[in-house]
Amino acid sequence: MVIKLENVVKIYRLGKVEVPALRGINLEIPRGEYASLMGPSGSGKSTLMNLIGALDRPTSGKVYIDGTDIARLNDDQLALLRRKKIGFVFQQFNLINKLTALENVALPMWFSGISRSRRMRRAKELLELVGLGGRLHHKPSELSGGERQRVAIARALANDPEIILADEPTGNLDTVSGLAVIELLEELNKLGKTLVVVTHDVEFGKRARMRVKLRDGMIQDIEGINHA
Amino acid sequence: MLDYLSFSVKNLSHHKVRSFLTLLGVIIGIMAVVSMISIGSGMKASLKEQLEQLGSDKIFIIPRLAYGTAATTLTDEDADAIERVAGVAFVSPLYSVAGDVGFRNERKIVKIYGIDPEKAEATFGGGASGYRLLKGRWLQRGDRYKVVIGYGVASDVFSRDVNVGNTLKIHGVNFDVVGVFKKTGDREKDYTIYTNLDTIREIFGAGDKVTMIIARIDKGADIDQVRLRVERRLEKRKGSKENFFVMTQKEIIERVGEAYRVVQVVFGGLAAVSLIVGAIGIANTMIMNVTERTREIGILKATGASNAQVMKIFLTDAAILGLVGGGIGVALGYLISLAINTAAARYLGEGVLTTSVSFELVLFALTFSLVIGVAAGLYPAYRALRLNPVEALRA
Repeated sequence: MVIKLENVVKIYRLGKVEVPALRGINLEIPRGEYASLMGPSGSGKSTLMNLIGALDRPTSGKVYIDGTDIARLNDDQLALLRRKKIGFVFQQFNLINKLTALENVALPMWFSGISRSRRMRRAKELLELVGLGGRLHHKPSELSGGERQRVAIARALANDPEIILADEPTGNLDTVSGLAVIELLEELNKLGKTLVVVTHDVEFGKRARMRVKLRDGMIQDIEGINHA
Repeated sequence: MLDYLSFSVKNLSHHKVRSFLTLLGVIIGIMAVVSMISIGSGMKASLKEQLEQLGSDKIFIIPRLAYGTAATTLTDEDADAIERVAGVAFVSPLYSVAGDVGFRNERKIVKIYGIDPEKAEATFGGGASGYRLLKGRWLQRGDRYKVVIGYGVASDVFSRDVNVGNTLKIHGVNFDVVGVFKKTGDREKDYTIYTNLDTIREIFGAGDKVTMIIARIDKGADIDQVRLRVERRLEKRKGSKENFFVMTQKEIIERVGEAYRVVQVVFGGLAAVSLIVGAIGIANTMIMNVTERTREIGILKATGASNAQVMKIFLTDAAILGLVGGGIGVALGYLISLAINTAAARYLGEGVLTTSVSFELVLFALTFSLVIGVAAGLYPAYRALRLNPVEALRA
């Protein structure tokens, strides 16, 4: 299992009020799986996504990413884990506006200490892979939404991670470019990446082999071949 | 490191106006520090040089009240008495007055020194005081209505040059110019007319008053002891020490040094205030920078930047602001110091104030601006790395 959650509880504190976002999640996602996390807003899917992405630690329970319990890691070890194992694709694209497409894609490789020439070469290859070979030196503001999300996908691939996490990747896109983005992500899954997509779009959600439905911080249902 | 630099340059140039305003704060601070310290040290250097020209074997006796004529209580007899003090070789009495001087159809106020020609030459002989004749001759004992003029009087005071053989009308009386001194670089000396002590006192009705007595001591005599003896002798004659100073060159330098320290503290204080303003400017920009870039910090962290890397990114920004601001500030401060030199030479006279920007000063200013930049960036950088990536991304 590349992702394994045991009795995961996450409680947010807003002043004195405790808001339980996840209330005991048990979930296993095998290597190379294509999983979707679905549920209405407030169901805890983004919180779950942040835990799987090692952006946050659980209040209790264990979150194993490729065998490592993230609750035991300090900030820098978490950063290292994200750098090596996880590529993020966000609804808001989250590109850095002052950098070109090429520089945005190269960014995670900078943090990994890869030499400038090597990371520029790989960033170029990745942008060509996502079909943006002609947009290398454009800044995000000069690209369409679909193109920006492709840049983000290329960036997610920069350090060749195990897992691609996409949080509402089509949320800000029209249907056509949304579909193109989903298809691109599915291509990556076919190449062996574990793909986890958070979405409230039922149509897109259904495309995943493994479909996890969340409600009120708990797993309501898991559908799919691996959990028959 | 190069990557951090290029990332910072991209960031700072992305916010051109804000970066420029921050830089301006640092530039003004460092510029103020460099130019003020250069003025301060220039003042000290030129004062010291001028005072050293006085010579270390002389004792100066001056009235304690104003430097003017009316206030002096010193007389020829005091000078004679001082000359008889053991250890004093001879004295040179001096009467100085600012008088109206006519040349052709122009009239100007010029400083006039009445001196005893022989004693003055003996006192200032050996060239220690910087007097050298350019043209003509030195005054002689019997000379009446003859003057030797400083270089500035000859070349600058009147619209036409004054030469040996010309006539100057001092207080309505004609004087022949018999000599012109070379430029000494000391405005006081260059812009003065020198004539016979008795003649000038007669014209200005000053009787036997003198405004300064310069005593040259015997070779090998202990100047501090001679100074004490001179002071005691005068005290006896005048009844108290209230109306005169007896000073050696060393004491004058010390007194001026005290005054200079006050100047230094004032200039230093002004410079420090400007620097603090610059530092606050950087801190302010950096805090805005962090607040505005919260989301970017989230992105950096999500894509695998460690806390140390995020910290480096923000500190590099601050260091660049400090160093670039400091560099420009030093350059501008240097230009200001050059401009002050030019202006001082023109309006105050050559050699009155020569500012200097030393290598140490440049090094200090650059180090200081770098330290200020980093220090001002430290807190915002710390805040940046404490941000939880999830919250940062939500911003």
